[in-house]
Order: sequence, then structure tokens, then C-alpha cells
Amino acid sequence: MSLREISAWVMGAVMLITGAYYGKLVLAAAQAGAGLPPPEDFLGPAIGAFVATIGVDIALAILAPKGADLPPDERERPMLWRAGHWAGLVQGGLAVAAVLYVAHSGDMAILFYLIVGGLILSQFVEYVLQIAFLRSGS
Amino acid sequence: MIGRKPLPITNQVSAFRDQHGGMSQAALAEAIGVSRQTVVAIEKGHYSPSLETAFRIARLFGVGLEDVFGWDEA
Repeated sequence: MSLREISAWVMGAVMLITGAYYGKLVLAAAQAGAGLPPPEDFLGPAIGAFVATIGVDIALAILAPKGADLPPDERERPMLWRAGHWAGLVQGGLAVAAVLYVAHSGDMAILFYLIVGGLILSQFVEYVLQIAFLRSGS
Repeated sequence: MIGRKPLPITNQVSAFRDQHGGMSQAALAEAIGVSRQTVVAIEKGHYSPSLETAFRIARLFGVGLEDVFGWDEA
């Protein structure tokens, strides 16, 4: 397994945990009838995900300094580009869907949560696609 | 990969590595500036390298491009 794939697995896991925590927080608040939780509630997980991202890079640089330093090569570049392309489309599609939903429901407060949720989901999709493309080798 | 159509470009990279003192895939990868996984993909015929990488490989082994790479009409 290449270093890039290991990084994608770890970052995908970080995004999955962040997304699960985020979803749980929003659903718990909605079920309690307390409306939506304040955006500040997500500050902790957001900082956690940010620190984890840096931590993964540092850990990889220590464990495999030579490999971590290498930019993607000619075979990997189109794969990473395609993963980013599809993740961008997912993010854009979800953002448009969120705006349409808000326009329909008139509930502006939910826009922030839908956009952030879409961002987390699209990041997760990007890492999953990176793994899939790198594994398929095409 | 199941059902993958073989690429028409064949290669003797693995044989040339053996001829050069059993050069490892990692050493070849480092010498030509790609990842080891890319060398694996080239040797298995799953990936056709760029012309630049193909030349780097041939030059590293001190042979011509067509000694390392071929075209399989079938």
C-alpha cells in the first residue's frame, strides 16, 4: 500500500468520525426539539479534525520521510485530480440542493449546517475515491 | 484487476531489472522519479508510462526504447 493510500485511509477515517459526530450533534438537538445547535458547538470537532490532518502529515513524514516528501507522480496525478473533480461536483451539488431547500423552506438557519455537512461529505468522498482509483491503478 | 483489457504496450522492465543486478522496484522508481506502485503497474502492463518515463527507463538500462517497450498487435 502506498503512502498516499495510507494517508487517504487515515484522512477518510478522520472525516468519517468528524461527520458522524457532526450528524449526531445535529440530530440530537433536532430530536430534543431544541432546534439547531449553535455553530460554536462544532468548533471543537473542527479544530480536532484540523489538528488530526496536521498530525497525520507529521506522522507520515516521520515514519517515511522519503515517500512523504514526494509529489504525486504521472500515474497518481490524474487519479487525484479525478477524485477532487468528483468530490467538487458532490460539494457543488449539495450546496445547490441546500440553497434550494432553504429557498423552499425559508429556514435560513439550516443553511450553515447543510453546507458544512456537504463539505464534510465531499471530503470523505474525495478520500474514498482516491483509495478506489489508487487501488484500481487506472 | 478482473476484466481489465490488457494494454497494447508490452515491456521487459522486470527482465532488465534482473539483468542489472536484481535492481529493486523501489530503486528503479527512485531513479526515474516515480512511485514504486507505478513501477509495479508498468511491469504488470496496467499502466503505460509517459514517453519521458519510458526514455528514462531505457536510458537507465543503457538500451533503446524498443528494447524495453514493444507494441502487441494482438
